[in-house]
Amino acid sequence: MRRLSIRALAAPGILAAIIVLAAIAAPLLPLTDPVRQDVANRLTGPSFTHWLGQDEYGRDVLSRIVWGARVSLSVAFAAAAMAAAGGTLLGILGGYFRGVVELVTVRVAEVVLCFPPLLLALLVVTLMGPGAGTLVFSLAILFAPGFARVAYAETLSARSLDYVTAQEALGARTRRILARTLLPNIAPPLLVQFSLTVASAMVLESGLSFLGLGVVPPSPSWGLMIRGARASMEQAPLLLFWPCLALTGTVLVLNLLCDRLRDLLDPRGKAAGRPGFLRRLVALPAAPVGALPAAPGLLTVEGLTLEIPSRAGQVQVVRDVGFSLAPGETLAIVGESGSGKTLTGLAVMGLLPSAVKPVAGRILFTGRDGQVRDLLRMPETDMRALRGRDLAMIFQDPSSSLNPLLRIGAQVGESLRAHGVTQGVKARVVALLRQVGLPDPERAADAYPHEVSGGQRQRVMIAAAIANHPRLLLADEPTTALDVTVQAQILGLLAELRRAEGAMGMVFVTHNLAVVSDIADRVLVMYAGEVVEEAPVTDIFAAPRHPYTAALIASMPEGEAERLSAIPGAVPQPWAMPTGCRFAPRCVMAAEACRTAAPALVEIASGRHSRCLRWEEMA
Amino acid sequence: MSAAPGPLVRGEGLTRAFHRRGGLFHRGAPVMALRGVDIAVNRGEAVGVVGESGCGKSTLGRVLLRLMPPTGGRVLFDGEDLAQQPAAHLRALRRRMQMVFQDPFGSLDPRRTVGAQIADGMQIHGLAHGSGARDAVAALLKQVGLDPDHARRLPHEFSGGQRQRIAVARALSTRPDFIVADEPVSALDVSIQAQVVNLLADLRAELGLALLFISHDLHVVRHLCDRVVVMYLGRVMEEGPARDIFRAPAHPYTRALLAATPSLRHRGTAGAPLAGEVPSIANPPSGCVFRTRCTMAQPACAEAVPPIEPMPGAADRRIACLRAAELSP
Amino acid sequence: MLAFAARRLLVSLGLVWVVASLVFLVIHLIPGDPAELLLSQGGIAPDPAAVEELRERLGLNLPLWTQYVTYMTGLLRGDFGLSLQDEHPIGEEIALRLPRTLELVGAAGVISLIVGVPLGVAAALRAGGTLDRVLSACAGLALSIPVFVVGTLAVLVLAQELRLVSAGGYVPFARDPGRHLALLLMPACTIVVGLGAVVFRVMRSSVLEVLERDHVRAAQARGAAPGAIIRRHVVRNALTPVVTVVALHLGSLLGGTVLVEFVFNWPGLSGYLVRSVEARDYPEVMGIVLVISSLFVLLNFLVDLLYAVIDPRVRHG
Repeated sequence: MRRLSIRALAAPGILAAIIVLAAIAAPLLPLTDPVRQDVANRLTGPSFTHWLGQDEYGRDVLSRIVWGARVSLSVAFAAAAMAAAGGTLLGILGGYFRGVVELVTVRVAEVVLCFPPLLLALLVVTLMGPGAGTLVFSLAILFAPGFARVAYAETLSARSLDYVTAQEALGARTRRILARTLLPNIAPPLLVQFSLTVASAMVLESGLSFLGLGVVPPSPSWGLMIRGARASMEQAPLLLFWPCLALTGTVLVLNLLCDRLRDLLDPRGKAAGRPGFLRRLVALPAAPVGALPAAPGLLTVEGLTLEIPSRAGQVQVVRDVGFSLAPGETLAIVGESGSGKTLTGLAVMGLLPSAVKPVAGRILFTGRDGQVRDLLRMPETDMRALRGRDLAMIFQDPSSSLNPLLRIGAQVGESLRAHGVTQGVKARVVALLRQVGLPDPERAADAYPHEVSGGQRQRVMIAAAIANHPRLLLADEPTTALDVTVQAQILGLLAELRRAEGAMGMVFVTHNLAVVSDIADRVLVMYAGEVVEEAPVTDIFAAPRHPYTAALIASMPEGEAERLSAIPGAVPQPWAMPTGCRFAPRCVMAAEACRTAAPALVEIASGRHSRCLRWEEMA
Repeated sequence: MSAAPGPLVRGEGLTRAFHRRGGLFHRGAPVMALRGVDIAVNRGEAVGVVGESGCGKSTLGRVLLRLMPPTGGRVLFDGEDLAQQPAAHLRALRRRMQMVFQDPFGSLDPRRTVGAQIADGMQIHGLAHGSGARDAVAALLKQVGLDPDHARRLPHEFSGGQRQRIAVARALSTRPDFIVADEPVSALDVSIQAQVVNLLADLRAELGLALLFISHDLHVVRHLCDRVVVMYLGRVMEEGPARDIFRAPAHPYTRALLAATPSLRHRGTAGAPLAGEVPSIANPPSGCVFRTRCTMAQPACAEAVPPIEPMPGAADRRIACLRAAELSP
Repeated sequence: MLAFAARRLLVSLGLVWVVASLVFLVIHLIPGDPAELLLSQGGIAPDPAAVEELRERLGLNLPLWTQYVTYMTGLLRGDFGLSLQDEHPIGEEIALRLPRTLELVGAAGVISLIVGVPLGVAAALRAGGTLDRVLSACAGLALSIPVFVVGTLAVLVLAQELRLVSAGGYVPFARDPGRHLALLLMPACTIVVGLGAVVFRVMRSSVLEVLERDHVRAAQARGAAPGAIIRRHVVRNALTPVVTVVALHLGSLLGGTVLVEFVFNWPGLSGYLVRSVEARDYPEVMGIVLVISSLFVLLNFLVDLLYAVIDPRVRHG
């Protein structure tokens, strides 16, 4: 990714270098004197000696354009450099020391920014008279607050970063922290700001010169040339064209350079190739559902395999995952980060991120109408009809899952309206909010999300999810973002809902085994994209039949033992999966056979599965 | 090493106010993150600080290291009041107190090699230079269970657990007497958590470090700490030997917290969950801050802030509750 | 909400006062005597007696704080002083010209929003597609052409070569509404080239960012239709940064119309400013700078209010 961006930088970089070089080398180039007049040949068109023609005083246009670049660029670079040095210093000091320094620098910058830029430049010109020196000075004053603001904001955010605090904790002097840790880390946005400033300084310089308030004639400047050519526009329209082209071209190159630089330094801003969210990517073509399993139950997932693109081509982040769920049953999917548990849940909802592609398997779901459908092959419009009605989902972070700009009632009501309910929505919303235990539901419906606490926001999300009495509720780490005491409340609420909505099945995705013990009927343990064990909840804790499950239980900090038993190593990355059993490198029981062949998920007892060659030894 | 009598680190009546950022002329009422906290950490002792979000546990850690000055009260390190020290001496004292942070991704400078960051502390305090520093870095990496050759790599090449080991190595680089670990395992997967907890336990035994271990997870604390301090909304609710507190929690909040923590051991709900949520720290309840959620609250609880006092019948435990007499183990 | 508005208004008034004082101080404390500067046009050293007389007439011989108090009390009454060139009251001239500039800036802003917002949304929803690439490239080009180049080329091509429109000028609305609007269109559209591109870019990246947010996925999980999601959950949330950027640009346009007004002979405030700068008529410059800066502050105040309308968190915070 990074290398790609560097290559993208090459074209504008080379062009910018050519422009700068031409400007620097202007005295060395075989050009006619840019100020020598030849009034007899004024406004002559292009000729062999004057490639771009002669202006209203008969001066050579090409020569004036090259020399003009020299003036424009030196003014712009000098002003940007001065602004960068001064502004950055003020911004860093203000951001790092806060207090009085902050007040002074930030407020001064704010006041300067109160003046529209061109206005400020004009004010300085009034006071000091036109000329290149004035121009550099006024542009520097103009752009310094911009640097101060960027440096201040970046410093402020870097200041709160732990690695800066760590330097302080180590006893480093302020000077060392600023120079070694802070400056290198805030340099990228400043670099972008610098190239942006050079471009805007050029535009302003030429604008002021165009008004006759910038560079003083007869010095060549693109702004002045446009001003001159404008007067003789009717006789020689082409004269107007050259300086306009030079100016626009240079600014374009600088802007392009700036954009590419930004992409390179801040990969988050890159949006290329992201498909619109309207078109759900169903990688699997529609096909008949095929032979149904003996008892399809509520939900049957078979052989689900998901891929993402990576440096090493397509990698499988979820491989051959299967499970089933009966109505009224709760299945917990447990796994660490990278286990594929969340993606499995999102695949059922048809809400996979666009980079993740299903490549195999099927997800059979029995809807309210009793019909069995393969969710993995359903068109988006049909899927949408099921979402929020037959299938509902609760997310991990209740704070970001609610739209901050819409009232709570409107968002809960959306579930109803999206599925054709138009009558009595308001009353139903209040009833739902009451059902999930929100105090004063009438007022809560009119409140905005930020006005209620984190736990209450999760209750709102649950209310929206159960609005249409779904057949299947997917809960993706619904308590992870909450405090323990609130977690207990939400778990209690979910248990209550299970009783109230008897036929509703629930899939509860979590990383916390202990949470599962109370709420689930069965547990599915995932590791590195695969199901490693499946068992009823009591059995899995009492008698795990996969070394990973056993190790996970043992590593929970609960026992009386002095020492925790840790699993050595780390979860393998999706692009560097071991060839044999994916857990083998960390497994205490791993034998030679485990490292060569990937074990299959085998049924070891009724309702129990394990993906381990040596499960029998664990009994 | 000077060895003044008394605890290595002592915080007395610590308060810390935060001003919400307002406009030019507007300053919001201060938010009190700490309200009169007394705490002591003895040499070689591990103290756990436990509480939910907003209880002030992280602020306490930073105030004790003077990464943040307290608004009131004082911090004594080895008998010296940190606020009274000249800047140069404070920097020298920092060699003896270090910190490990929660987020293994934010606590390392992404632009500098791991080795350079571990060597920082040694250079700052003149402990080692050049090849001496390189050898010391290699030894530290080995000590925290990493390959010494990793010194030349950048942080992004490591997993979360490995980074946390690097952060521990950096903290150890100045040979400190005291380390504050601010939720060092909360961002890690369960299987990795155990690795880091074990590492800290080993290092403590090996080096005789004093440790302030901040966590929201009671179970982790039990494994690592000698003593536990339970905090709620900026105040200490209960304090005592870890073993005793887990066996017989006294304060209603500690009891509720233990009951709410999911567990493999006691399946089924251990009593009704605590009602409501932590009140806004900007607008805490009068009197006892916990009273709005407390099952034992009486009208008197709203009147006065219960002082933290030795618990009747257990001299090594302290509790802040008006009804302490009824709670005794 | 009212308390919020009152607080912001107070801050804005404070800022205006700071700006006014700053302009006053800069003019008076900068080395060089304004009277001397004014009379020394053409490079000939002015007659000391004439300078002294002018200083007396302008009150420059009084102590600085007296001048300051006089100036500030004058401002409170809406009195900006007299022009040095023709002794015409500056306030009157500003009152005549300001509406014309505001009209130009307002028209440009409205057209830019009408063009930029829908195109930005459309490009973001099909990010990476042909439409997105074409529009993004156009925006990149539009942003690189300085406004006076656009104006000059527009005059050259549309007015002179094709004779589609007149090259510029101004007719009061009351006299000939049709012609007034026709003359307004060219300078306004010239500004729109740059401003519309800015709106487009900000809207596009803002929509892309909002599309990734959890609450959009949550709305999808509820089964909401794509149109409803875009309307209720995407565009509305994406507008906040656009408001900021447009306001900031409109503000800098208040002074930046100088070039456009110059190119199209639009008799607004900016042309007046250029004339004053050329003549070094410092009371005029002071007055105009002050008015424009105050408008800028006012604009920021309105943006803060608009924020509060869009985002309930601001209202309560």
